[in-house]
Amino acid sequence: MGAVLYHGEPNGASLTVLAALAESGLDIPCVRIDLLAGARHNLTGIAEPIALDLGIEGEGPVLVIGGEAMTESVFLAQYFDELAGGCGLQPADPYAHWDMLMWCRQITERLSPAAALLGNLASSQQGIAAIPADDFAALTASVVSDDLRARWQALHDDAIDAAQVADSHAKVDQAAARCEGKLADGREWLMGEFSIADLVTYGWLAGMEPIRPQAFVAAPLTCAWLARVAARPCVVSALALANCAEPLRSWAPGPEINRWG
Amino acid sequence: MTEVTLYHWEPNANSGKPMLALMEKGVPFASHYIDMLQFDQHKPEYLAINPQGTIPAMTHQGPLGTRVLTESTAIMEYVNAAFPGPDLMPADAQDRWRVRWWMKFMDQWLGPSFSMIGWSVFVGPMVRKRDPEELAAAIDRIPLPERRIAWRKAINGDFSASEMAESRRRVALGIARLEEELGKRDYVGSASYSLADINIFNSTYSLPLSQPDLASKDKTPNIMRWLKRVYERDAVKRTWAMGKTDLAARYSLVMEGIV
Repeated sequence: MGAVLYHGEPNGASLTVLAALAESGLDIPCVRIDLLAGARHNLTGIAEPIALDLGIEGEGPVLVIGGEAMTESVFLAQYFDELAGGCGLQPADPYAHWDMLMWCRQITERLSPAAALLGNLASSQQGIAAIPADDFAALTASVVSDDLRARWQALHDDAIDAAQVADSHAKVDQAAARCEGKLADGREWLMGEFSIADLVTYGWLAGMEPIRPQAFVAAPLTCAWLARVAARPCVVSALALANCAEPLRSWAPGPEINRWG
Repeated sequence: MTEVTLYHWEPNANSGKPMLALMEKGVPFASHYIDMLQFDQHKPEYLAINPQGTIPAMTHQGPLGTRVLTESTAIMEYVNAAFPGPDLMPADAQDRWRVRWWMKFMDQWLGPSFSMIGWSVFVGPMVRKRDPEELAAAIDRIPLPERRIAWRKAINGDFSASEMAESRRRVALGIARLEEELGKRDYVGSASYSLADINIFNSTYSLPLSQPDLASKDKTPNIMRWLKRVYERDAVKRTWAMGKTDLAARYSLVMEGIV
């Protein structure tokens, strides 16, 4: 079958998927690529590219199986769980499963665009702006999605709306508050049992601690939960794949901010 | 006693998804029609069910109490997992991934563009005829700030030229990619009828009428064959019979053109 998981530094969507793969115990080779060099858009051997070309998540990991590019971190985590015959990352009860899906969608639709924007502004924008003009033109020309290309361009040109930054701050604050509320009954993990919800939330929220510390001031339960997730063996092994000292400060253009209600 | 109650508008877009999933599974349900154009979804009796004021919503009474579910695609996944009947998710893990990918593509990328166009040409003009003060009060009752903005734009016709152009670009691209997909497989994402078909059918059934320059027997034969295949399902016919507006009649017109 020849499966390969192409991923960036273990943060955001890449961290979610690498940790889910580790939890599943599946033996799938992982290849780290430089997302900020546009490597994700120059992969070879892809016969079915639509999920790569028009992915919602931005510069997330790409699993290639049988020439098909597979994207979106939550669905890749579900795929690993199901391919492994159920490794415990998804609740068996339909209502608990619905609850997890709803949580994950809140995170990927509201938190992840906000975190990606703030993370890129904090750590990637300077590097993107410094890419020589010809190289940047070649990079953006390889991006099939017009809207993802526009997000690269906006970072390059420093054309970020102040209102978007303020909205992103609010969304990070709301995500931390939602976690705090969920954990208020003393539960160890967000859905009760450890699940994809913990991985996807950690992937996008952990890197916000240094960038938006205000969100965590009144969230001691969330801070303790972040530490518990960081200590999970699957997360430890995912973070060990880092090629930099602080992977949680590694960001690449992410999902778009919701454009319609 | 019926265990399931579905709060829905027309068998169209988001409301149509759980209606059709329940019909396919053979799950009896009490239908509670929410008239979106009368803002029923923002009235206290509905907000008691779903405080976010979005439709559809579903309640399921079981041994552990009454479960309340929201968000149309997630409701469909619950319906498929919680009730016996034909499985509406493929067995193969990669097919399941593909079904989920297409549903997200519709829910978060293509669907909002369909909505923006639909609201600008249909929903906005329909509600704009009402008393302005009544409308303003209705909008103030909307719980989610994003939805308040969306409704104001629809009612005032405030979509910018660039917003509409971007929506039209996405619709054209999405239709072209769906045409390619249905050239590879009989159904969206897999060889069998699934939740992805229900999801995407509910937002694309009217394409031959609404986007005749982009979708037609000549331009998108794969989509037309698929629409016909889905339309001929008994569950679709029974679901469409529940419509109260002329949407169902419009659908018949579509079918006359493609069958």
